[in-house]
Amino acid sequence: MKVLTMVALLAAIGAMPARAAEDAALLKDLTSVIALLGLPCGEVVSATRLKDNDHIATCKDGNRYRVFVNAEGRVVAQKQ
Amino acid sequence: MPVALFAASLCVLSVAGCAPVERAQQPEARPVAAPPGPTVAIEPRVPAAVPPTAPSQASATEPTVVTPEPQVAAAAPMADGIAGPVAAKPDGSAPRTSARVPAAPTPAAQPPKKEPSAPVIAKPDAPPTLDLKALETRLKETKAIGVFTKLTVKNQVDDLLQQFRAYYQGKLKTTLTELRRSYDMLVLKVLALLQDADPPLASAIAASRESIWAILSNPAKFAAV
Repeated sequence: MKVLTMVALLAAIGAMPARAAEDAALLKDLTSVIALLGLPCGEVVSATRLKDNDHIATCKDGNRYRVFVNAEGRVVAQKQ
Repeated sequence: MPVALFAASLCVLSVAGCAPVERAQQPEARPVAAPPGPTVAIEPRVPAAVPPTAPSQASATEPTVVTPEPQVAAAAPMADGIAGPVAAKPDGSAPRTSARVPAAPTPAAQPPKKEPSAPVIAKPDAPPTLDLKALETRLKETKAIGVFTKLTVKNQVDDLLQQFRAYYQGKLKTTLTELRRSYDMLVLKVLALLQDADPPLASAIAASRESIWAILSNPAKFAAV
């Protein structure tokens, strides 16, 4: 039992950097999208995933946007 | 009084002693400098003075052999402390040296001018080669930007193409200058996204900028895209 716990713990620890990198990439991606759309943000500091291709992005300047892909395949950033 | 005479005679002797040395160096310097001499330090001046006479003599034989020499020889005399005066004296006797030397240096001077010009011409030729499909593929495959960003860029490119289409169909009241501004803005956005994370792709896009515009701004070419 102890061995299994250790293995699970190690796996979790090993997966953490990858998860962090994914998160950083997502934040950067959302930052780029909001900038491309010409909306004020500065930098996305956190993001909450609502569903696939649908996130709430919180900017450094306090703005929050829902960034998602609409039915026509366009990326939209809605101010919250 | 005898002391003054003695001092004067010493001065005369010392001055007279220097004169023969200079004369003695000249004849020595010419023969010695003759084989390496022409290649030594005279070359920079000779091409300017001689070009009209030299090409006929030099063109056939010299170019292949002489080209490396002037570069080596030009560096060598500067390193030698003695070479300076030796090279300086032939300037006074220019007619002799310029008659012999020009054959070698003129061809040597011409090829270096051609060599640098060739790459300069080649560089501008390279960028205009445009492969839109390859650029599109590279943009799709680059990991420098995320999926959302790629989709946003694609949307904006599609919007711009739609504007061009409407403009050529007469449905959009705008000018080509305005469209150019929109195009430039979009290119700048893409370059800003790529320049740090994927510099080769950014430079490829920057190099293709005018070629792409040439297509967009030409109704016939645009219709073919």
